[in-house]
Amino acid sequence: MRKPALVRRDRVLPATQALGFFVGIVVALLLGAVLLIVSDHSPAEVYERMFDSALRGTDSLSRTLGRATPLALTGLSVAVAGSMGLWNIGAEGQMMAGAIVATGVAMMADGLSGPLLIALMMAAGVAGGMLLMLGPALARSHLRVSEIITTLMLVYVAIRVVEWLETGPWKDPDSFGFAVIEPVPEQAALPSLFGRANIGMLIALGLLIVFSVAVSRTAWGYELRLAGSSPDTARYAGVSLRRKVLVALILSGGIAGLAGAVQLTGSATRLESGLSNGYGFAGIIVAALALMRPSGVAVAAFVFGAVQVGGQSIQTLGVSSAIADILQAMILFGALVAVVLFNYRIRWTGPAREQQADERLGSAITQEAADV
Amino acid sequence: MSEEALIGLFVATVQFGTLVFLAALGELIAERAGVLNLGVEGMMAMGAVSGFMVGLETGSPWAAFFAAAAVGALVGGFHALVSVVLGADQVVSGLALTIGGLGLAAYVGRNVVGERPETLFTDLGIAGLADIPWIGEIFFDQPPVVYLAVLLGFSVWFVLARTRLGLAIRAAGESAPTADTAGHSVMALRSGAVMVGGAFAGAAGSFLSLYMAPGWVEGMVAGRGWIAVALVIFGAWRPGRLALGALLFGFTLALQPRLQSFDIELLGVEVNRISPALLGILPFVLTVVVLVIISWRYRHRPSVAPAALGLPYRREER
Repeated sequence: MRKPALVRRDRVLPATQALGFFVGIVVALLLGAVLLIVSDHSPAEVYERMFDSALRGTDSLSRTLGRATPLALTGLSVAVAGSMGLWNIGAEGQMMAGAIVATGVAMMADGLSGPLLIALMMAAGVAGGMLLMLGPALARSHLRVSEIITTLMLVYVAIRVVEWLETGPWKDPDSFGFAVIEPVPEQAALPSLFGRANIGMLIALGLLIVFSVAVSRTAWGYELRLAGSSPDTARYAGVSLRRKVLVALILSGGIAGLAGAVQLTGSATRLESGLSNGYGFAGIIVAALALMRPSGVAVAAFVFGAVQVGGQSIQTLGVSSAIADILQAMILFGALVAVVLFNYRIRWTGPAREQQADERLGSAITQEAADV
Repeated sequence: MSEEALIGLFVATVQFGTLVFLAALGELIAERAGVLNLGVEGMMAMGAVSGFMVGLETGSPWAAFFAAAAVGALVGGFHALVSVVLGADQVVSGLALTIGGLGLAAYVGRNVVGERPETLFTDLGIAGLADIPWIGEIFFDQPPVVYLAVLLGFSVWFVLARTRLGLAIRAAGESAPTADTAGHSVMALRSGAVMVGGAFAGAAGSFLSLYMAPGWVEGMVAGRGWIAVALVIFGAWRPGRLALGALLFGFTLALQPRLQSFDIELLGVEVNRISPALLGILPFVLTVVVLVIISWRYRHRPSVAPAALGLPYRREER
């Protein structure tokens, strides 16, 4: 009997990945439907509500874009590190660090005019993210300490520092005893483009384009990818691996920090422990689905923005918002499996071919024996 | 600081140590077989919520403990299916497991938040030994899970170091083609290791929800799953060193909520005036510092990590 064997194709094509992503969404929605039916909800009704609130009409669209903005930035942050095979799992914390430093700047310079203050706060955000990444980056580049663990550990640190600032040093004296930090100055609010979509979206889009070009079209980007895929070759070609690791990780931290500043001035009014809101972790899924390509990050961030907006809207139907988290993870799993499957082709092997080979070998041996 | 408070600190050290030890021991098994599973946090959350719910339903902590282990194995099986059988990226699959596991746990447990089971694990005063001052209370008057964890630690060491099965598991983690050539199924070994690892993490989760912090709230695992992953590196993939590390991390986890009540001065700062939020960063900072220190000490030596850790194995691509 002939047996099927899976043979893998050499590399994942973007088209395959896109198809896999699509299949992932379908699979996730189907599994989500099962979950909804089990918990006595009508999937049709829930999904219709999700669709309406996330995609129908400009108001809905602006909400989705508003959510997609921080996701695109954290996704890009993870992707920049990922393009050389590194994992920044701590974008969530770097967002917080960025927002902390940006808030500090706003407190010191609240007399400045809007655009100037915003620019300063963005720069502060980048600096904050880079600062939190400095330790993990140095530990990775010089001591090979897993950046996965260190970046993640600092998430908890950053969030607790915000909690500390809320209750202590930065507690707003005018808050009637609530543990909240003073809101950022009004002139620092990012101008809206339409509805909930603000200038932050353009910043994210601009950065996506810049990094898209930098990573795939410049010598710098080539060396980065080479250092990730074949370190030995890169070293032989004179690329300093340590420096590449440092640069990739610190840039990654800076972008996530910027996401924090954008979130602070865009949709939040003040620094609070819930500011990062899972965007950093979702950014990992976004980047993984995008195969670490900036162009893919834009698409995935939009889809996840829609899923999150939809997920929030269905709470009015009595459905837990955790459903949205589950859907996001399911999309990733679905896509992961689909892409693997699409990258295989089935090859039939078995006795038929082996037998022929055996027979040929057999006759050759007999021939040899006869010759002797 | 009173004697009572000090004993309380060490009692809690053993318990927190057990919590991270159990989860880390599971991760150690998976990693020795060559599979990195970053889903520990999610598996623990699933174990915590399912164990708690079974405990509510049956009133038996043991039924809950084993149910949580089964759920953990199932969730781990998902990672095995995706990353071992299908050969997808282990990092991505594991992270998805954490994100999805946390979400699913929150969803499953949404109706039991705030409830309390009737029976929890009770401390097991070991006759004669539990009465010894200090030592007795710290080591011989603990819940049964603590002793089970010790037993499991020895078992895992024995199986990995002294049996054929252990050799096969280690071969799968060091060089999958070698294990394959020797006639072992790498897929079965790795999947099995990941599922057993998941069972350990799930069981650890139920120890959390049925003893240490009885009840279920979203986010109750609070990063301990990640500490377990770091602990495996600290323990250099050996059960013995893992146990030592678990006690160290257990000590910080136990110390952090207690520092508030300690009337001591450290470097000129009165400890009980430091904000609890700031003290909360202690275990996480310690993890990073410890990882950096051991990497510094061993910087000139070759890595002790399993050589094939994180690499999917497909026979066709040998």
